[in-house]
Amino acid sequence: MFESLEHVGEALADQQYIASSEIMTVLFLAEKLGKPLLTEGPAGVGKTELGKAWAAATGRRLIRLQCYEGLDESKALYEWEYAKQMLYTQLLRDKLSDLLADAQSLTEAADRLGSEEDVFFSDRFLLPRPLLQAINSDEPVLLLVDEIDRADAEFEAFLLEILSDFQVSIPELGTVTARQHPAVILTSNNTRELSEALKRRCLYIHIDYPNVAEELRIVQLKVPELGPELSRQAVEAVQALRQLDLRKSPSVSETLDWARALVTLNASSLDKDTLENTLTVLLKYESDAQQARRLMRRSMGEEGDGRTYR
Amino acid sequence: MEERIARFVSGLRASGVRVSIAESEDAWHAVNHMGILDRDTYRLSLRSTLIKDPTDIPIFEELFPLYFGTDEPPLLNPMAELTPEQQDQLWDMIQEFAGDLEELLSWLLSGQTPSEEDLQELADMAGVQMAGSPQQAEWYARRMQRLLGWEHLEEVLEQIWEMLAEMGLSPQEIDAIKEQVGENQEQLSEHLADFAGRQIVDQMVEESAQKRDNVHELMQRSFNALGEREMQLLRDQVRRLAARLRSRVALRQKRGKNGKLDAKATIRANLRYSGVPLELRFKTRRTKPKLVVLCDISTSMRPVAEFMLHLLYELQDQVAKTRSFAFISHIVDVSDTFNRHRPATAVQRVLHDLPPGYYNTDLGNTLRGFVDGYLDTLDNRTTFIVLGDGRNNYNDPALDAFQEIKKRARRVLWLNPEYPRQWGTGDSDMLQYAPLCDHVYQVRNLAQLTDAIDKLMA
Repeated sequence: MFESLEHVGEALADQQYIASSEIMTVLFLAEKLGKPLLTEGPAGVGKTELGKAWAAATGRRLIRLQCYEGLDESKALYEWEYAKQMLYTQLLRDKLSDLLADAQSLTEAADRLGSEEDVFFSDRFLLPRPLLQAINSDEPVLLLVDEIDRADAEFEAFLLEILSDFQVSIPELGTVTARQHPAVILTSNNTRELSEALKRRCLYIHIDYPNVAEELRIVQLKVPELGPELSRQAVEAVQALRQLDLRKSPSVSETLDWARALVTLNASSLDKDTLENTLTVLLKYESDAQQARRLMRRSMGEEGDGRTYR
Repeated sequence: MEERIARFVSGLRASGVRVSIAESEDAWHAVNHMGILDRDTYRLSLRSTLIKDPTDIPIFEELFPLYFGTDEPPLLNPMAELTPEQQDQLWDMIQEFAGDLEELLSWLLSGQTPSEEDLQELADMAGVQMAGSPQQAEWYARRMQRLLGWEHLEEVLEQIWEMLAEMGLSPQEIDAIKEQVGENQEQLSEHLADFAGRQIVDQMVEESAQKRDNVHELMQRSFNALGEREMQLLRDQVRRLAARLRSRVALRQKRGKNGKLDAKATIRANLRYSGVPLELRFKTRRTKPKLVVLCDISTSMRPVAEFMLHLLYELQDQVAKTRSFAFISHIVDVSDTFNRHRPATAVQRVLHDLPPGYYNTDLGNTLRGFVDGYLDTLDNRTTFIVLGDGRNNYNDPALDAFQEIKKRARRVLWLNPEYPRQWGTGDSDMLQYAPLCDHVYQVRNLAQLTDAIDKLMA
């Protein structure tokens, strides 16, 4: 799908995603080798965004599987739609008794019923969940397995099985094999160690917070309404906050939220009040906010006019 | 190229990075696709296929230039500017006064690259075989430079410039030579550093095979007989050990359906048999254990406590909830430290914040403190674990408090590093506590500790 590294960068840029050379290389490799891509890094650095941009850039349909503790096969793979089956059985009762009416013996009736069995265990009543959708799809798809670290270890093992040969067996229907090889991207916030086996099968990229220049480009791309000077100040302030020992550092998405907030508030510069009022957009814990205020006071004292925070 | 990648992979393995065969194969495919022309792309293709853990990235970045160094361009030959007669003249003079620097000068001035043997000899003299990590490469490179007489180089070069001037070279010509020699100097020092680095990694590759056997042996050795280096070696193993334990525990919890009929799921599963329960469903909601850990961190218990806490917290995702307390003379709640930091850091912090004293262990006081302040952490699903040697400095053992705890908790386990025959000797109250526990495990070494933790997770 991609011809060259530059092509990857351009295609992602068209989707408003600014990719580092590392991301481009890994994405290109994932396409070429047909391997799943495992992205790790702190929350809110654009891992999920990368998945979306990848799908859009290659014209694949995005299928997203959000992981959480207790996620199991019936939620991830497929489920029989019992209610619908029951309803159909009820509604078709008359038809069934017609069919069985002239049966001579019990065996014959059972045979006739048996020959109609497939009606009830067919695609009609199968509720495909994300994994089966990805395997079953005719068009090219990208499977985004979000926050795999939240799922249990056993689900990870199950996922491994699917990722290795892209086929599942449904007892009533037989084996379903992927018609086309879906591209797969997994994201993890590293809240727990993933199994060696899973890591082994994936290409790996660790996405960290961007540096000032990169983050500035992102802000200017996504929130162009914010003036260049203010953007720079905002990004520098966020970067300074990340240096603190916070419970939760502000992520890129929070920087963008903040930038939008500044635009909405029509802020012309980053003064004390603006910061004070909008700090909660960036920091979600009171203890973090207090630490940030201390930092502000200190840099205010030094700078006097309170315009910059470095 | 294939061989270089293979050597690089074994270098990574020796530095403690796990690389499977499948991964090195991926790396090979990746390189085939990406080509080797762009160095950065090449590095990234190797990194994304070989490195799967952010903590391994620095190791990769350190080793990469050693194996795929900026293939140093050969040294320049500044002498090319001179006529053969002038060259001979210069060499004669150099031989007269250069002394120890002759070798170095011949490399710098004639552009001959030092041979592998020369470098090997130099590295041996600098003592590279003693090095333990590629970070030391720079330091050894400087030693190699000193052996070559590098610090006198400037003086000697000055003399040479003068000689050249006497020989009738114009200042421009001399400057050109100076510049080339300067470049050669930089080249050569990089060359030395790379060579030293490669040497060190090669050594590590050889040693790592021995180290693997060693770990196995160390796991069997008593905690008290471990030196600091050996402790470090085992610390590196904890995560791997935890990963193995985790998959075992997860598997067991999955299999160990606890037998209760799940009415809702059964009805749902049997709708297809119009409600006739042909297929029974059982509750699979696994009961992850809730743990309360009381750790003795007095001097003798420190190594055990360290590994115990580290292992336990690496397994947090298999546990519903853990509260941990440390004690020497009184009880301290350390759960918060563990909630806020990664296990390895948290353990170090706890040990650092609570320095051991002399003979001030007071188990009885600690148990009373627990009953007074934290009894609400126990319920009928909680496993209460004491890690301690039961040595109480002849203080009151507070058996009534222990009884109280036993009454509230689901299970009471005791992990003790001492041999059973030592229980009850001297100031040990272990024989009094033991009958009140559901289980007492001996945890003299890491192997036993791992077993004990495996059992208490059940």
